[in-house]
Amino acid sequence: MTRLDSLSDAELVRRCKAGDAEAWNALVDRFSRYVSTICLRGFRLRAEDAEDVFQDVFTRVYTNLHTLRNESALRPWIAQLTRRLCLDTLASGAREQPEAEPISVDREARLDEIDEAFAVREALHNLSDTCQDMLDRFFAQDQSYRTISSELDIPSGTIASRIARCLGKLRVELEGRSDPSAGSRE
Amino acid sequence: MSTENYLELRIDQFLERLADGEAPGGGSAAALTVAVSAGLVAMVARASSESWEEAGGIAAQALAILEHVGPLARTDAEAWQDAASALRGADGGDAERRNFALAQKLERAAAVPLEIAELAADTAALAALAGERGDGTHRADAASAAALAAGAARAAAHLVEINLGVTDDDPRLRRVRDCERIAAESAARALGSVR
Repeated sequence: MTRLDSLSDAELVRRCKAGDAEAWNALVDRFSRYVSTICLRGFRLRAEDAEDVFQDVFTRVYTNLHTLRNESALRPWIAQLTRRLCLDTLASGAREQPEAEPISVDREARLDEIDEAFAVREALHNLSDTCQDMLDRFFAQDQSYRTISSELDIPSGTIASRIARCLGKLRVELEGRSDPSAGSRE
Repeated sequence: MSTENYLELRIDQFLERLADGEAPGGGSAAALTVAVSAGLVAMVARASSESWEEAGGIAAQALAILEHVGPLARTDAEAWQDAASALRGADGGDAERRNFALAQKLERAAAVPLEIAELAADTAALAALAGERGDGTHRADAASAAALAAGAARAAAHLVEINLGVTDDDPRLRRVRDCERIAAESAARALGSVR
């Protein structure tokens, strides 16, 4: 059985279009955090407004998925839809949460950061478990080469090169990802 | 206690603070030395991207270390000021409580240089790689980076030893001496590669 979470976005879309309910659940699962993050951290909507946008986004995705011409463009399409609905929500009088960051960190910069973080997260999933583990330990958990070496039983002197090669693969993944413009009428 | 962010000071201002009072001291200087070393490694790796396939990944690791270690200059100064104040008995309270608080603060004052030593060892390892595989024009910079990181590791290890005041079999002491040894070996490799 194919693990749905290992499918590409395009394959997931094709399965959803074919009426596969499990694929739809996997799609919602894959993008729910992304949509919530755009609403809450990108646009700083209040929780109840973010929840409304969240429901609206996935309703529209479900209804209009068949109009998405470029199936690998799912993420930019969902991003565009979410941004538009957040702007509509703000225009209709909803209030943003009080700023927790300096004003200089503007909305576009926050949205770019969110996009970049999720793109990296997705690309990481396509690397081997060992690469994911090593990158996570060094960059997210701030573990030293000595600690990584002793916990993974890998010679200490090879860790930096291994991480560099994993980063090279991550770069290839990120560069290889298409960034097509959204191809739907929605 | 000052809450000044050292990373926002000009270099001459930081050096003035260093010469002026109790903090910043050796730990802060070691942290910034590691940051300087990591910056040099990133420069060498970036300049070697055409001839060295792993250069981009090495630069990224050096930059991650730089970002991590810089703020430790401030953290170390705070931990040391806190411990120094407890050593002077400024915290008040009964003797048992004071001794317990002092021990906690000294542990903290040792934990920061231990972290600096770990980062120094990693930076020295990166510098050694850059010295061996980086562009020939910049290998001397990589060797300089390794020597600086090894010096910082040694300084940080000494601070851990002094602040903890423990016996040789303490695991933290073994850990920091490991870092010191790794950094020294890396520096020897890097310096050897340019001779």
